[in-house]
Amino acid sequence: MGLDKADDAGVYKLADDLAMIQTVDFFTPVVDDPYEFGQIAAANALSDIYAMGGTPKTAMNLVAFPANDMDIAILREIIQGGLEKMNEAEVVLVGGHSIEDKELKYGLSVTGFVHPDHILTKRDLRLGDQLILTKPLGIGIITTAIKGGLASEEIMKTATRLMATLNRQAADVMKDYPVHACTDITGFGLLGHLTEMVKDSEYGLQIYADSIPVLPEALDYAGMGLVPGGAFNNREFYGHMVEIASSVDPLIQDVLFDPQTSGGLLISVDGHSAKGLLLTLKEKGVQEATMIGEVVSRSKQKIKVI
Amino acid sequence: MTVELDCRGLACPAPVLETKKAVDTNGPSKIVVTVDNEAAKENISRFLGSQGFEVSIRGEGKDFHVSGTKTGGTVSESAVIEEQEWEKQKIMVMVATDRIGYGDDELGKKLMQSFLKTLQEMGDELWRLIFVNNGVKLTIGASEALPDLKELEEQGIHILVCGTCLNHFDILDKKQVGETTNMLDIVTAMQLADKVINV
Repeated sequence: MGLDKADDAGVYKLADDLAMIQTVDFFTPVVDDPYEFGQIAAANALSDIYAMGGTPKTAMNLVAFPANDMDIAILREIIQGGLEKMNEAEVVLVGGHSIEDKELKYGLSVTGFVHPDHILTKRDLRLGDQLILTKPLGIGIITTAIKGGLASEEIMKTATRLMATLNRQAADVMKDYPVHACTDITGFGLLGHLTEMVKDSEYGLQIYADSIPVLPEALDYAGMGLVPGGAFNNREFYGHMVEIASSVDPLIQDVLFDPQTSGGLLISVDGHSAKGLLLTLKEKGVQEATMIGEVVSRSKQKIKVI
Repeated sequence: MTVELDCRGLACPAPVLETKKAVDTNGPSKIVVTVDNEAAKENISRFLGSQGFEVSIRGEGKDFHVSGTKTGGTVSESAVIEEQEWEKQKIMVMVATDRIGYGDDELGKKLMQSFLKTLQEMGDELWRLIFVNNGVKLTIGASEALPDLKELEEQGIHILVCGTCLNHFDILDKKQVGETTNMLDIVTAMQLADKVINV
């Protein structure tokens, strides 16, 4: 993979049948509970490897910690949370590095492996592919409400569970299907990542607003003005490449640009196999997986939301 | 009363939270919030709109002045008036189940129906009726308590039904009585009520 078309992670071919994938990701807390924050940060960092069709094997902790203002027990809990997710992913923690910083940050550098012929990028979509999204949207708006102390206990739990869920199961299932392209939905929001997928493609995407899975509370909070700044940036940056029908609820439009933390996989799969993949995903516990659109021949705009 | 707020240099959601605090504590008839970015401008406009303010925006250099003026006929406005006119105590009943007590489910359901029927004996001190979790099932077409709830609603009792719960049970389109609500409205109602009865 060249650097000109930045992908989720870097790939280095070691042998004809083996390539190494490297990725790194870390951020400031999105939830109050340190253990859960550790879980989320680890799930988020591991996700890039899954999105490229690889298997993560080793990881290193990245820690920035305000040791003077914060109890070291908090850091221990964060790392425990991260470790739990690494264990679940069967990834070995081989080391790490920490620095003193005013603001707490945590994440992982992850190394994984993949057969060079089975690398998935975000750019190889084909005409007639169906698009499947494996987690509902609205996480950025919900975490904004959490920061504002306005989120209900119930939605906090739901959002935390979603963010801490590994994309491993979804990635395992898709290996048995004719998947042409894949990415994970994070900071650019659904439409930002879709734009990245289709930018240099000869095809376009059609997205069905009604079928997009959304956490209903996100719509409430968006209506109250709890839309994160990142969503506005995404709209400004990617908006001109997207045509959204006027019938689409403005609050849903916010959600389409909402930056996600540890979001789901967006899978572009051969149209004939899409239903099968969707059913198997649900059978294997990826309950929230939904078909949200398809690859079509190019119209004026690269992405059309109807 | 006009309140002025300077939220320049603050990142979302801080400007909205500051504005909310000002609206909640001072109950202003007019509020002007100065912000320095698009996201804050948009979010504050929405927040004020959702609180029953008519919003106008004026740009000045890199800053935006978002003004909100209270208008009549919105939910929050009527809530304010309601508060002033209400001299008796306000009783809010929160129903989190579709049956009363444990033991026999059949009996429990009958008791709930009878409870809701008898609630009107509280007279005009009964202020709000909130349905959450399994309780939302009482508000759908198949519910035997539906006629009683409709009668209460006609008498002016505010009935609020948890939207998350309706969604959870996949019965959002089956609700026959009351307004769909969220946790913020429920919490606000609890704060305003003089007495909250949990069932």
